[in-house]
Amino acid sequence: MEKRLIQLSVNGDEYDVVITPNQTLLEVLRENLELTGAKEGCGEGACGTCTVLLDGKPVRSCLTLAVEAQAKQIETVEGLASDGELHPVQKAFIEHGAIQCGFCSPAMILTTKAFLEENPKPSEGEVRRAISGVVCRCTGYAKIVAAMMATAGEL
Amino acid sequence: MAEHTLVGHRVPRIDSLDKATGQARYTADLTLPRMLYGKVLRSPYAHARILNIDASRAERLRGVKAVVTGRDTAGVRWGVFPYTRDQQLLTGDKVRYIGEDVAAVAAEDEEIAVEALELIEVDYEVLPAVFGPLEAMQEGAPQIHDHAENNINIHVPIEVGDVEKGFKKSYHVREDRFVDSEYTYCQTEPYAVLVNCDLSGNLEIWTPNASPHTKAKALSNLLEMPLTKVKVRRICTGGAFGGRSDIFPGEFIAALMALKAARPVKLVYTREESFTSVRQAHSMIVDLKTGVRRDGTFLANEIKVIMDGGAYSSTGPIATSVPFLVWEETYRLPNVRFNGYRVYTNKPVRGMYRCHGRAFLGGLGMQLDMIAEELGIDPVEMRLRNALRTGDTQATGSKITSCGLSEALQQAAEKSGWKEKRGKLPFGKGIGMGANGMMVGFPMGIRGGSSAMMKFNEDGGATLISGVVDTGSGNDSMIVQIAADVLGLKMEDVNLVSADSEITPLDQGAYSQAAAFVSANAAMAAAIDAREQILNIASDMLDATVEELDLRDGFVYKKERPERNIWMGKAIRKALMDDTPIMGRGSYMPKIDQTREWVSNPKGQQAGTFSFGAVVAEVEVDAETGQVRVSNVTGAHDCGFAINPMAVEGQLEGSVASGGVGATLLEEHYWDGGQMLNASMLEYKVPLSVDMPHITPIIVESMDPEGPFGAKEAGLWGSMNMFQAIGNAIYDAVGVWIKDFPITPDKVLAALEERNKD
Repeated sequence: MEKRLIQLSVNGDEYDVVITPNQTLLEVLRENLELTGAKEGCGEGACGTCTVLLDGKPVRSCLTLAVEAQAKQIETVEGLASDGELHPVQKAFIEHGAIQCGFCSPAMILTTKAFLEENPKPSEGEVRRAISGVVCRCTGYAKIVAAMMATAGEL
Repeated sequence: MAEHTLVGHRVPRIDSLDKATGQARYTADLTLPRMLYGKVLRSPYAHARILNIDASRAERLRGVKAVVTGRDTAGVRWGVFPYTRDQQLLTGDKVRYIGEDVAAVAAEDEEIAVEALELIEVDYEVLPAVFGPLEAMQEGAPQIHDHAENNINIHVPIEVGDVEKGFKKSYHVREDRFVDSEYTYCQTEPYAVLVNCDLSGNLEIWTPNASPHTKAKALSNLLEMPLTKVKVRRICTGGAFGGRSDIFPGEFIAALMALKAARPVKLVYTREESFTSVRQAHSMIVDLKTGVRRDGTFLANEIKVIMDGGAYSSTGPIATSVPFLVWEETYRLPNVRFNGYRVYTNKPVRGMYRCHGRAFLGGLGMQLDMIAEELGIDPVEMRLRNALRTGDTQATGSKITSCGLSEALQQAAEKSGWKEKRGKLPFGKGIGMGANGMMVGFPMGIRGGSSAMMKFNEDGGATLISGVVDTGSGNDSMIVQIAADVLGLKMEDVNLVSADSEITPLDQGAYSQAAAFVSANAAMAAAIDAREQILNIASDMLDATVEELDLRDGFVYKKERPERNIWMGKAIRKALMDDTPIMGRGSYMPKIDQTREWVSNPKGQQAGTFSFGAVVAEVEVDAETGQVRVSNVTGAHDCGFAINPMAVEGQLEGSVASGGVGATLLEEHYWDGGQMLNASMLEYKVPLSVDMPHITPIIVESMDPEGPFGAKEAGLWGSMNMFQAIGNAIYDAVGVWIKDFPITPDKVLAALEERNKD
């Protein structure tokens, strides 16, 4: 397949990337840009561990072509902390013990950030629905929900 | 030691910062210079002889750097035990399940590797296959392995006391059959491996694992290379639950290709391959006969189980035994007979799982409730009357040195409002209990213990070196917390080097629930050894006896006069000048009967200690749709002592998902013969955040005399007793017993219909 040069904006930085048009955003982030925080858990949009933010909205980067992400702001977990200061959601996940194996954590944290920015005062049910697209096999979601509720209103 | 500044406190885990920021590295995240990409050709047949493999066209494809088949192996068979060596990890003569590894390619990129697979020609002679254990045991069934008549892989017979007499003397006897289907770990991280090979033939291996030392030893055997050349490196593991313990074809095949190409090779499985070609959990058929006295205490138990083991042994002897052992670790069983059979079929290979034996332990705990009802005894009371206690000896001979089972039963009942709810909730709502004991470690020979070291920097910081491995449950953080506490340091002042088979000392690994009891005991001993050396040096410097001194916040001080103190770094520097550098050394081997063996000698002390737990589940059953929703879970667990209560609670919460909502209500595989129909996360349903109940964890601390600070284990809190709690709660809600796991809506509806007919 013919290669193509595209521009991507990731975590506020601009990148020129040579890709093939069939490359997913997940592949380009992980392989071309070496941003491996987004994970491939299933490759078919079911597990949600590949979640990144596209113009502030969570998307499955394994189902998104890299060419679709041009001219949009891409946010990955690597871009959350700024000036050495963790994002409040990252802090809450750490302090509440919401991270076990950590494979789903980048996706959970990004999904939480996007959700809480839109919904500063959610109910527990709304919080649970917000992360229902990301699979966690370790935590039973309890401490993730607790971390989310504790951060609500802070963003 | 002064009061604890760290152990017993809720502290953030040391690994969580890297995991929250995307810096934590998992195997698939790694790349090495000149790395090749591997792909595996898998069998499309459940049972076939391989007549010929022609890989010449694949070898000639541009960009292909290595092709391997069974001909490239030393032909060594893998097995966890000397008597279970039945699997050639890259098969030579025969395939025994759909998805088995037949050949593999390493190429410059993944597309080339996929293209090359299509160029490999394999001539198969298809053989008759068998897909269920009962059929496989029948005369005339296709024989899957030459050595195994009637396809019986493992038979564990255990008999204690006089079972026939026990039944004769019983006031009440009940027989039931429970069954379940296959399910899978489905860790969020798919299987992956990266192997680096240098010009001297040294191998470095990164792969999600529950024991770097076990992987390294097995690979050194299989590759016929010395252990000094096979180095399994530390890497984050995206969940294990028992499914990362064994040795898998992937690491062997990647190593073969790296050696052949003399370049690094990365092999990342698709989710489908992770379902079919690593490990799954057993299905089983369980026959239970139980005799009790009038007061509900057990007089005789007869248990026969037939497990579908799939094509190879894996951890077969352990898997065949564990559910029975869990039962004998819970209750007093004066007369008991167990016959466990693990049977070969032409299905993927089954291993140990955190929620192993749902028909077995779910069945036993539900039958207990049935008997309780028939005798008019409250199910909590019936459990209390049979519960093991400190000082008791289990059926096969293990002494119980600390036991909080009765307390766990009582607390779970009390905090869940059992008395107010049981039998009193409106139709459709119910409450039920489950309970179990759990071995903390088991006999593993020289690999059953752990050792650790501590070294110190001239600035007062320390490094703990341990073979412990953290598959996600917090073992790394736990031992740093302990070492820092013993030495009066902050957790961030203690670096950890762990889970590297070359650099770190031998450890049993993160299975058998032994990390807190064994690995942490070794780490604690190393820290105590270092502490004593520091206090010795400091006693000269402070003109005090060792007994008069203590350590806190990086200082050695006199307990009576804290203003008399020195910075710990000073003592460390003085030790270096005196040519007596401070090096902590510690080890721990649990006090078990090393002659105990799973099949040939299943008696004697099995584990260093045992944990105990009880859970109460509340459910809502929709009688129109058959849908079961778990609304509340209250779980009490005797973990000995909670080193980090926050991490301990996380284990129950995870178990309510995997053992409760997942294994009890949702998870199973569908088949067309040997072809798995739902090897995908779209079709294999796991619990989501919206499926989960409210969970109340209760920590019971029995303070084990041998455990570090009294700790035992928490990893299996709830995972093996949720089945019974939910099964019993469904009965309380709608009055039907579902004896087939998972308890899906169709089964609930069928049972309700059946009952309405009567």
